[in-house]
Amino acid sequence: MERRRMNQVPLFSSAGELANMVITSNLIDVALANIPELQRGQAALHRSVQHMVYQPTPNRTIVVFASSPDSTQCPLPQGGYLVPYPDFDFLCTKECSSVSINGAALNLFESLKNHLSGLKTELIARDGQLIITGHSLGGSVASLFTLYLLDSMNKRSKCCPICITFGSPLIGDFGLQHSQWNSFFLHVVSNRDPVPGLFLPSSHTQTTAYKPFGTYLLCSELGCACFDDPDLILKLLRVISSEVAGGLLQVVDYGEILRHLKKRAICKGPRLAGERFADPFSAGIVMELETIGIDPTKLLQHNIDIRRMEAKARSLANKTKAFDAKKLNDIKKYMALLEWYKKKSKDAGKGYYDCFKKGEFKRDISIGEFMGHLNAYWEDMVAQADRKPQKEGASFRTSWLFAGTTYRRMVEPLDIALFYEGGGRDYINSKRSQHYKLLEQWYEEAVKPPTREELDSKKQKVSVLLTEDSCFWAHVEEAILSCKSLTNANSTPELRESSWNNLVKFGEYVMEQIENYAVSPEIFLKDSCFMTWWREYKAYIASPSNPCSLRFIEFIDFMKTGRYGVYGRSEVP
Amino acid sequence: MGETVGNLIGLNDEVIHPAATLAVEAHNSQSKQFLVKKIKIRHDHSSVVVLAFSGSMFPDDWLGQPPFGKTKIDTGKFPSLTSLNDGGDAVVNGSFLGRFNGVLDKLSHDKELKKAIEKKRQVVFSGYSSAGPIAILATLYFLENRTLSPRCLTFGSPLLGDRIFGHALRREGWSDYFTHFVMKYDIIPRIMLSPSSTEHAQILNYFKSKFDRKNINPAPPSGFYLTVMGNASSVASYEACHLMGCRNPSLDIIKSFIELSPYRPSGTYVFCTGNGNLLVVKNPNAVLQILIHCTELGESNTAEVEKRSLDEHSAYLSELKECLGMQAVVSLDGGPATATLNDLGLSPQAMLCLQAAEEFENRRSRNLEKIGKYLEKIEVELEMLRKYKENAQISGLGYYDSFKLQNEDDDFRANVRRLELAGMWDEIKEMLKEFELPDEFEKKREIIDLGTKYRRLVEPLDIANFYRHSKDKETGAYVIGGGPRPKRYRFTQRWLEHQEKKPFGSRSESLFWADVEQLGIDIKKKGYLQEIKDRIHQLERNMIAWIDVDKSLDKDVLLEKTTFVKWWRDLPIECKSESERIEKLIGEKAAGV
Repeated sequence: MERRRMNQVPLFSSAGELANMVITSNLIDVALANIPELQRGQAALHRSVQHMVYQPTPNRTIVVFASSPDSTQCPLPQGGYLVPYPDFDFLCTKECSSVSINGAALNLFESLKNHLSGLKTELIARDGQLIITGHSLGGSVASLFTLYLLDSMNKRSKCCPICITFGSPLIGDFGLQHSQWNSFFLHVVSNRDPVPGLFLPSSHTQTTAYKPFGTYLLCSELGCACFDDPDLILKLLRVISSEVAGGLLQVVDYGEILRHLKKRAICKGPRLAGERFADPFSAGIVMELETIGIDPTKLLQHNIDIRRMEAKARSLANKTKAFDAKKLNDIKKYMALLEWYKKKSKDAGKGYYDCFKKGEFKRDISIGEFMGHLNAYWEDMVAQADRKPQKEGASFRTSWLFAGTTYRRMVEPLDIALFYEGGGRDYINSKRSQHYKLLEQWYEEAVKPPTREELDSKKQKVSVLLTEDSCFWAHVEEAILSCKSLTNANSTPELRESSWNNLVKFGEYVMEQIENYAVSPEIFLKDSCFMTWWREYKAYIASPSNPCSLRFIEFIDFMKTGRYGVYGRSEVP
Repeated sequence: MGETVGNLIGLNDEVIHPAATLAVEAHNSQSKQFLVKKIKIRHDHSSVVVLAFSGSMFPDDWLGQPPFGKTKIDTGKFPSLTSLNDGGDAVVNGSFLGRFNGVLDKLSHDKELKKAIEKKRQVVFSGYSSAGPIAILATLYFLENRTLSPRCLTFGSPLLGDRIFGHALRREGWSDYFTHFVMKYDIIPRIMLSPSSTEHAQILNYFKSKFDRKNINPAPPSGFYLTVMGNASSVASYEACHLMGCRNPSLDIIKSFIELSPYRPSGTYVFCTGNGNLLVVKNPNAVLQILIHCTELGESNTAEVEKRSLDEHSAYLSELKECLGMQAVVSLDGGPATATLNDLGLSPQAMLCLQAAEEFENRRSRNLEKIGKYLEKIEVELEMLRKYKENAQISGLGYYDSFKLQNEDDDFRANVRRLELAGMWDEIKEMLKEFELPDEFEKKREIIDLGTKYRRLVEPLDIANFYRHSKDKETGAYVIGGGPRPKRYRFTQRWLEHQEKKPFGSRSESLFWADVEQLGIDIKKKGYLQEIKDRIHQLERNMIAWIDVDKSLDKDVLLEKTTFVKWWRDLPIECKSESERIEKLIGEKAAGV
């Protein structure tokens, strides 16, 4: 084990440095400055919560929320209940299908909401820094207001927000782990403050619905450290709340604590001088935990596993921009290789779908490998987009939706070929991968149907385009199967009828694709599955048949007269 | 041990103390902008000429525009002080730059300096306190001009330039020429890490009255220390986060709410530990961490540290006398040396920061090793593409048009190679942008040559691919500022231009095909406007120069079936200005001359 670690690149934990950067700057002073004043005014007003907007410099706005000491202290210990709050459903993700908010925080937020919508509009229009802050439940309202504001912001908004809370309890059951929004929240928590951990069960074997989000700056009188891993934060908050003597709700003076820490960061006083560390990551983490008041000998008891943290950090460290750049070009390379495969097949008079299905070329083996790389890449991209809150996910994926669509149209037919070659049935309902479905769904949402002119230009280019419906070949394969049932003498009349209906639907579908120039002319190549099917089907419908839709008749006519032969040829008027 | 400071910084030890003495004397000189002194070296009887600048403690001479008084360096005078990869020009303190400009005229006409240059004597520019930055700029000025290769010694100098400034110095291989002596507690080398403030002015006014000798014992200011060192500490922690590979996305958001100083140390630092030992540090990240952390331990009483931070700014001469005599010198390079670091009094957290600074350099070396393997692969791929080009030439079409048609297996293979190469160069590009490769990378001859070879051979393929798919309709022309042209070509072009000292954008021979394609499109859109005609003439002149004069463009563009020749021959005669010359070239090519 030790030997393995020696060969690895040393890692570091920057939790202490990030916290130091915050407390030695004046950001905390700025955020804290107006809270006491508002709190004093608060007590006189007898309102449970109020807010105030300050503008210390033209480029900076500060919004402070203060809750009355009563509402902070009294209802809290019992106030851990969560209330579903559909207004915040914009925070929903794949893992969290509805959003619930702490009842006490929600009451305060709702009581202010009428005032806040105007404020929100005004703040978004401003150009500059926006600090939203509050202490205890006031901080919870600040967090909720920030989320409310973030939801209304768009790319053109020039306002840069940050939410800084002091000693605030957890507010909801949604996690923002995969969202950029996570980075807008900084929660300062003292190890003497029982409020942040109030709603947590004391034993770490009991689960809780609450999920922390954002960065937590945890501090004791010895020092401070910043963490952003929600699981770790939950564990640390539990330790803190269980160790605060008797759960007495004393009011913690964050200004005092942080001023003390700033001084301490600059003049530490005589101490043991440092040594070189053989394992800087665990040395760093242990020091950081110790500095926020966690006894390093009790980590096991608190279920904190440093090795696991290191493994996580290591996997993150490998994901660099340089790495991404290389990967992106690799993906382009695999697509180029598939394009070439498609072209070679066409040169040989065949569609690439059919070539691959029959496995005629030697190079088909490597096609499987390219598909594997491409599928892994896009499954990951789609999963990433899907984990983000809706709106953010949407803007993330529009940037690559075009490339994703080309990929889907190129590669899914190959997946379909493998499936039916292996004897599968009903690909669309039984096998189709989620990432293809989402890629298609997002594309449909983003793209409008083509205009007349666009259709004309498509007509010119259709010979080089990919078939738009990536499931086209699945429909063809189903049609082949239906055709077999139809012609099979042993089929029951019911099966025959349903097969007949399926084939009519299929004919209509193909005609629609043809009218929209949405299929590649390659489907009409002589030995394609589609043409094989047609020859079989044609023989069958030569005999008189039931009345059909116009489009179906049009399709039969299109095929029988051989008009498909000129489909996609641009010189034809 | 056994090393001397002189050995480590490449200068005779006998020069250091006299240079410091002259620097202190010159700093307080009201009448002269600089003092010059010749120092005889005892053991080889050579002479070193030391030139020390005067200083100023007027707060306005330190900080122009709050908060940091930064300004872009004048790249006319200092053409190397820029990033070759999109990082922009170096930023320096505008007030110091202004003071240097004020002394430059006198300096370049100084007789003693001229004589030293003639006699090829070693010249040392020296500066104490606010004169330090002037000495740095003077040294750089002469390094840029190549008229001499001076050394620079500063004592208690404030910081002058930003990260790009230090990066450019190291890239050019000049970093070792600059040596900065810093006392353990001296506030002045740290002061620029904090924004302009009343505390700044307090400190400077105190020294001003002290140096003016109007008031021999002025009352020292108080209460500034936490503010100045707080901001400085914030800078050090921000940098430490990067060194430690911080992946917390809040880092950037938080940073945007904090005014962090842009200034960073550069050159070699010599820390006087206060008990006669000297510590030499070249790693700029380690210098920054030591600057901040070495003041933390020892005193828990702020007032006491505050007083020392002022006193030590005036203690260089006595301290150096002692240290240079003892010669207890340790270099930090090759890892933190625990014994000397203990003299500096570093906390465990500070030690981690130093290890991270060291590890950052290791990471850069590892990346270089990785890229080294790429270079071999790149050579192989380029050789294959060169063959592809040769074959396409035999077919009479030229590889540009052949690639654009994508009809043959070879064209397809070339496309895969193009993407393979793009992957490697894009990775290099990203590493450079993040400073993840050694600073001198872009200055290495073999890298520049390979980059140029790559750009000239492969960029035409990217252009062919671009216009084959009519991407100009989505993104605009291939070459527009910051447009679709891949950065891997922008960067490699910049390297060559920098090496040849040519202006930015002058080495655009690899863009020949983009110019041709875009002209074709624009003519269809706008007709033969004067602007178009001018561009055609420019293209003709460029082409002749590239083909005939510096051979940077291959003659295969002249093949009769190429897009260029077909397009050019179709131009109305009045649009061409070099008709005969180009026809002649085409003819020669066809005849196989």
